[in-house]
Amino acid sequence: MSSLSTASTLSSEDISVWFGERQVLSDVNLTFPANKVTALIGPSGCGKSTFLRTLNRMHELIPSAGLSGSVFLDGEDIYGEDFDAVTVRIKIGMVFQKPNPFPTMSIKDNILSGLRLSGRKIGNAEELVETSLRRASIWNEVKDRLNDQAISLSGGQQQRLCIARSLAMDPEVLLMDEPCSALDPGSTRRIEETIKELSSSMTIVIVTHNMQQAQRVSDQTAFFLADDNTPGGVVEFGATEQIFNGPIDQRTNDYVNGHFG
Amino acid sequence: MTFAARPAIQPWRRANKKRIWQIVAASVLPAILTGALVLLTGIDPALATVVVFLPSQLVLASLVGFSAYGRRGLGDAALVVLTIFLSAFVMVLLLSVLYSVLTEGAKAISWQFFSQNNVYVSGTTSLDYGGVGHAIIGSLLVVGITTIVAVPLGISMAIYLTQSQSKIKNLVRTVTQALSGLPSVVSGLFILSIITSGDFLTKSGFAASLALIPLMLPTVARVAEEALKLVPADLRYAALALGAPNYRAFFQVILPAAKSGLITALLLGLARVIGETAPLILTLNTNNGTSLNPFEGAMATLPTYIYSYLSSSFAPSQQRAWGAALVLLIVVAVLFGLARVLGRSKSLKTKPTNKKASK
Repeated sequence: MSSLSTASTLSSEDISVWFGERQVLSDVNLTFPANKVTALIGPSGCGKSTFLRTLNRMHELIPSAGLSGSVFLDGEDIYGEDFDAVTVRIKIGMVFQKPNPFPTMSIKDNILSGLRLSGRKIGNAEELVETSLRRASIWNEVKDRLNDQAISLSGGQQQRLCIARSLAMDPEVLLMDEPCSALDPGSTRRIEETIKELSSSMTIVIVTHNMQQAQRVSDQTAFFLADDNTPGGVVEFGATEQIFNGPIDQRTNDYVNGHFG
Repeated sequence: MTFAARPAIQPWRRANKKRIWQIVAASVLPAILTGALVLLTGIDPALATVVVFLPSQLVLASLVGFSAYGRRGLGDAALVVLTIFLSAFVMVLLLSVLYSVLTEGAKAISWQFFSQNNVYVSGTTSLDYGGVGHAIIGSLLVVGITTIVAVPLGISMAIYLTQSQSKIKNLVRTVTQALSGLPSVVSGLFILSIITSGDFLTKSGFAASLALIPLMLPTVARVAEEALKLVPADLRYAALALGAPNYRAFFQVILPAAKSGLITALLLGLARVIGETAPLILTLNTNNGTSLNPFEGAMATLPTYIYSYLSSSFAPSQQRAWGAALVLLIVVAVLFGLARVLGRSKSLKTKPTNKKASK
């Protein structure tokens, strides 16, 4: 394995988000320490996916989007003058809810697409492809058909290919937006194992609706909630153990025990 | 592991034996009735088809449908009959045009009809001499220049319309749609007025291309826009999330995904202009010799060749016009085939790797 960049600490400070005139998030302050897995949980529409997208500046692609506050990557503001969106996204990778491999490319080209798209040199293509696919634990399934079209894979394999594609960029932080919501239990388990292995080399933030998944993979958990007609925000943030077994806030307790949401 | 051979049974296709005679009767009786009527009374077969065959077929089929399934059977049967009849009607129209062009055109076609020009040909010259070689070259040059200008412009417009957030986008789209309603003769007149108003432009193949560009542009732009719209936004986000600048996301991800749609845009654009006659008559003098210079002098094209020979009163000349029409069809078919083959070559890369699995 070639030398990998180290994980970084990511933190948000007073992040508020608007779509047009409507505020959807209010003053989110969270810290994602290096090499830790953080789960963002909460009912649909509470702004957790939106928050995730502010962390690698994908949020700004929506025309009506607005934002205040700062996001720090190892102390530097990613919305500051020293950063641009492209640099941020190279350092902070993202896996989407729906698998989205590039349909016109082979499996191999999908892995190399990140480097090509960001205009960087590809050193040893063969090695990079194998390493990335191994880290996403899909190598054994696809090693004999690397030149096949990526869309010939099953949904679960496509999602792991997308993870591998992000890993080929060697990100410092990996954001995952409900990566298992469209997958069967077997694929879900394999991706969870992958997440645990990856946390040794990067910081991971994962949005999930699955309480068991949050408990299995994460070190710390943030509970988001949007009361009727108010912007969403963090109700409680702490070690996963504490959020699920001894939450301080009554609403957190109700949510993790399935009383609403 | 082997799979059991799939039994070739499709239970839903099994004919209901009780109804089979009703269906046969409903299909055959109207045809017999119409045929008998035509033979006995001698009315026009086309008229009989519309006035007798279609209504009786509709009534009978509806009756069978009604007796089998009640009201929903009636609706189904009527719809099936109407659909088949109207499809057949359109097919007959198209095929009869094709048939005339093929049979009439074939009489004029020979090797020298493709390879020779028309220099020593008069209205009564036998079809053993002369051909449309010069007009094929002229058409390809004029349409070629049009395509080289209009396709990049049209695709650029489509890119602008799909990728930008600009507010005047809708204005651009409306104007493009309005432009697609532009009568071709007006486009020709516009160029003609430039030609007559000064020394900028003379009648030439290039002037003809200029007149065709406004006709091809809106077609290409609109079809290309639809093709680009079909590319899921997910793919663009995936590319941007990997740190791609907008232009690389576009060229490496969106454009390849829209490739076959963009080729359709090119083809529909070609089809729009390759048979255009009016603008060419106004902006280009035709001639009988071969010209390779689109920027100066007269040049023949297939549509103007057809136009000038069709109005002749001599039989061999009219035959030449039919021959040229067939050649035009062949040229279009070749161009379409070529574009499809070129467009497909890259996306068919699905061969499995032969590389040995490394453990």
